[in-house]
Amino acid sequence: MESRILKPLLGFYVGLFVLFLYGPFVVLTIISFQQGPEGGPQFPIIEWSTYWYRHIFGLTPPSRIAPLPVGEALMRSLILAFMTMVVSTVLGVMSAQAFRRKFKGSTVVFYLIVLGMMVPGVLTGLGTSLLANNVIGIERHWYTTAFATHVAYTFPFAFLVMLAILNRFDASVEEAAWSLGVDPWTTFRKVTFPLIFPGVLSAMLFAFTLSLDEFPRTLFASGRDQTLPLAIYGTFSVEIHPNIFAFGVLTTLFSFALLSVYGILMAMSVRRAKKAAMQEDIA
Amino acid sequence: METAVFRLEGVTKRYGDLVALDNATLSAGENEYISFLGPSGSGKTTLLRVIAGFEQPEQGRVYFQGRDITNTPAHERGIGFVFQNFALFPHLTVIQNIGFGLTHGKHGLSAAEIDRRSREMIDLVGLSGMEDRGVDQISGGQRQRVALARTLTMQPKLVLLDEPLGALDANLRGRMRNELRAIRERLGVTFVHVTGSENEALAMGDRVVVLDRGRIIQSGTSDQIYDTPASPDVAHFLNRFNMFDGTLSGNQFSGVFGTAPVSRASRADRDVYAIRYDRMRVLPVSATPDGPAVKATFIAAEYLGSSIMNFFEASDGHVIEMEHHLSLGAPDSYEPRQDYLLTWNPEQAIVFGREAA
Amino acid sequence: MSDTLTIEKRQNATTRLLLAPGIIWMCLFLVAPILMIVYVSFWTQTTFTISPEPTLASWKQFFGSATYTGSLWTTIRIWLIVLTTTFLVGYPTALFVGLLIKSKTLSTILLVICVIPFWTSFLIRVLAWRPMLGKEGAVNIVLMKLGIIREPIEVLLFTELSVIIGMTQIYCVFMVGPIAFMLARIDRNIIEAARDLGAGFGRIFWKIIFPLSLPGVVVGSIFVSVMVLGEFATSGALSGRKVNLLGNIIVTQVGSLKWAMASVVGVILTVVIGIVIAGFLRIVDLKREL
Repeated sequence: MESRILKPLLGFYVGLFVLFLYGPFVVLTIISFQQGPEGGPQFPIIEWSTYWYRHIFGLTPPSRIAPLPVGEALMRSLILAFMTMVVSTVLGVMSAQAFRRKFKGSTVVFYLIVLGMMVPGVLTGLGTSLLANNVIGIERHWYTTAFATHVAYTFPFAFLVMLAILNRFDASVEEAAWSLGVDPWTTFRKVTFPLIFPGVLSAMLFAFTLSLDEFPRTLFASGRDQTLPLAIYGTFSVEIHPNIFAFGVLTTLFSFALLSVYGILMAMSVRRAKKAAMQEDIA
Repeated sequence: METAVFRLEGVTKRYGDLVALDNATLSAGENEYISFLGPSGSGKTTLLRVIAGFEQPEQGRVYFQGRDITNTPAHERGIGFVFQNFALFPHLTVIQNIGFGLTHGKHGLSAAEIDRRSREMIDLVGLSGMEDRGVDQISGGQRQRVALARTLTMQPKLVLLDEPLGALDANLRGRMRNELRAIRERLGVTFVHVTGSENEALAMGDRVVVLDRGRIIQSGTSDQIYDTPASPDVAHFLNRFNMFDGTLSGNQFSGVFGTAPVSRASRADRDVYAIRYDRMRVLPVSATPDGPAVKATFIAAEYLGSSIMNFFEASDGHVIEMEHHLSLGAPDSYEPRQDYLLTWNPEQAIVFGREAA
Repeated sequence: MSDTLTIEKRQNATTRLLLAPGIIWMCLFLVAPILMIVYVSFWTQTTFTISPEPTLASWKQFFGSATYTGSLWTTIRIWLIVLTTTFLVGYPTALFVGLLIKSKTLSTILLVICVIPFWTSFLIRVLAWRPMLGKEGAVNIVLMKLGIIREPIEVLLFTELSVIIGMTQIYCVFMVGPIAFMLARIDRNIIEAARDLGAGFGRIFWKIIFPLSLPGVVVGSIFVSVMVLGEFATSGALSGRKVNLLGNIIVTQVGSLKWAMASVVGVILTVVIGIVIAGFLRIVDLKREL
């Protein structure tokens, strides 16, 4: 009865919610097709054009608006995200594997790891740069200090993903491998790892995307060389132009491509697991 | 003692306050088939897991082929284990599953040798033609064979089976039972089989070990267990005895059936009179029995294939069962809600008592 | 002698080995930096450098300045407002996605729709609010076309309001996710049973649904709180430097090489976040819920 009124009402509300969520992105996309180089980042659209997209790739005649300094920044961000992904996932899998046994102090270790996603980036960034500058006396770089903070940030996510996966993992296949005379390390490589691989993929995706978009930690902890978010942040203080919106559309498309690759890999490894599970139900 | 394949000495295992195993001592010879029988929570699976090395006992030692293996990790023990859910490697094919231990263990066998031994084992368990199937593409019974074959390729001296037939349907269970026996006899390996089913334990084990609340309460051949259960608990768990409470004094046991003479009794913590289902006789209510007798109302009969189980209810609500083996002739039929007199030869009773010598 | 080593001890060694890299990393790059902030907040600041002579000068300066203490209150005010708005905006959505929709596929699709905006860079999402809220922005254009307003609303951009709108949009999904997750775990039979006993939706909601979703609300609140309290980009980009959060102060202080002052603000921010998280964790045990 009440659901006959409530459900459509809430459905309508969710529609508004999605509009709220997507509104800025729609506007951003529209403005990215603003005429250039005179057209600014606002309405009305003077004339539809792909000027700002060409501007990003340096395909427009030189104008007073400098091209976005994204080329090298993008490369750095991708390399940093890749390094972070590898280290965070390895640490995440190792720690989550350790958490399968009860051990003394597990609560302390749990919160120590989870702290990494709870402490705001401003603080880790500030602290790391203080440490690097004033105690160790090293120069800050995106691939050293910033990398360290990125891992401290994404490792908890990888850890929690792996913890959830390993909690549901049926340990009897591992015991079966031991009883066949296979040592625990080989068992992990040949049995556990292939079976938790979908989870590992999720953890990797988490770490990669979080690191790619990470900004406050990088702002403090990296040196002169900018990563992509820093390059975008640099435009905050100066005048903004629609080229940054065009760039936003492109990075979103890139993210979708990344997500699709993940989706395909996931579907491939899940299909096998699902089929096994279905057979289990029938048997 | 030297011929023992494995030996347990005073093994105790706790989970928090729960005592899963309480001072278990046991030894098993070569080429034996042992069944661990007990209700769920009796510690039978824990005992198996302690032998396999998946669990560590708090106290006690485990010996295997004369060596103390209490501190040897599972993968260095060389003891096979077959899981109730089979625990096959879902990402590998049948032949990869069977060759897994040879491929990834420390054996230094050539690929050709591994392949030869895997195929030999596939033939033995009758899975020829299935080598390259995924383990999700075969039936439950075939998975059971893969699980067994995977263990047997390692040529262990001892194989532990944790309710291996539990996941199969009744029909398949009967067939696999015979196959298990046959395979074991051919290879001359000691099997330790955990089961919650008294029929399975009595039918398969050369020796049956009965567990209750973490304790080994009886160990012996099927016949010994069946004919002389060591305690009221064992008798109860075998599910083949009508049990009556009462009082044992001297050579007499008094209960709901009157007073019966007792020729021998075993010591126990309470007085119990037990008589096997198939030792009961049914008389019309007007008859004069020449032994102990209980008046009871017939409720229902159940056909069990080779026998018929008749259920009666005594005046105190106690259900009394009477089994009639069809090999002994056609069964009598009884009228529901009619009273009958149930009697037996007191010589065949098993009596437990606090006073017993 | 491997035989004297019990399996238990060997497994403990493995556990330690597995945990060591993670623990060391977190101690070096998370705990040590935070301790460093506390330490440096007592250092002596000269024009462009700091030296480790202990002093309370920066602390005194912080509490003696209305700008600094004001930013503390602004941070707390914005946090409370955004926490409330994300909850109010997010809860009905979570209720719909997690509980009212019966099809698993549809609710997964809706959740994916909620997550998709995250594929756009955070900073660009913030910037996108400028052409939304400006005097000639999309909101004003739409409202004028609809005839709801005649003059464009000017307070939409470069005010505290625009910061709140921006943060609500960016962070509300962190509220929706955990709540929807908890709601989806509710056994529908309980609700059916209550309905059979004649309870109306209002009663069912307050007696059953809301209490069961509370852990989700707390987890979502922790996410939102941590992110809002540490914010500086949204407030910087959408307030026209009118809203100064503790995070903004840290950025400007570091920009002018006032490391000691930045550290003082960092310590205060840490304390505020510590109190907030501890408060939420008193309501729900995070480790058990995960």
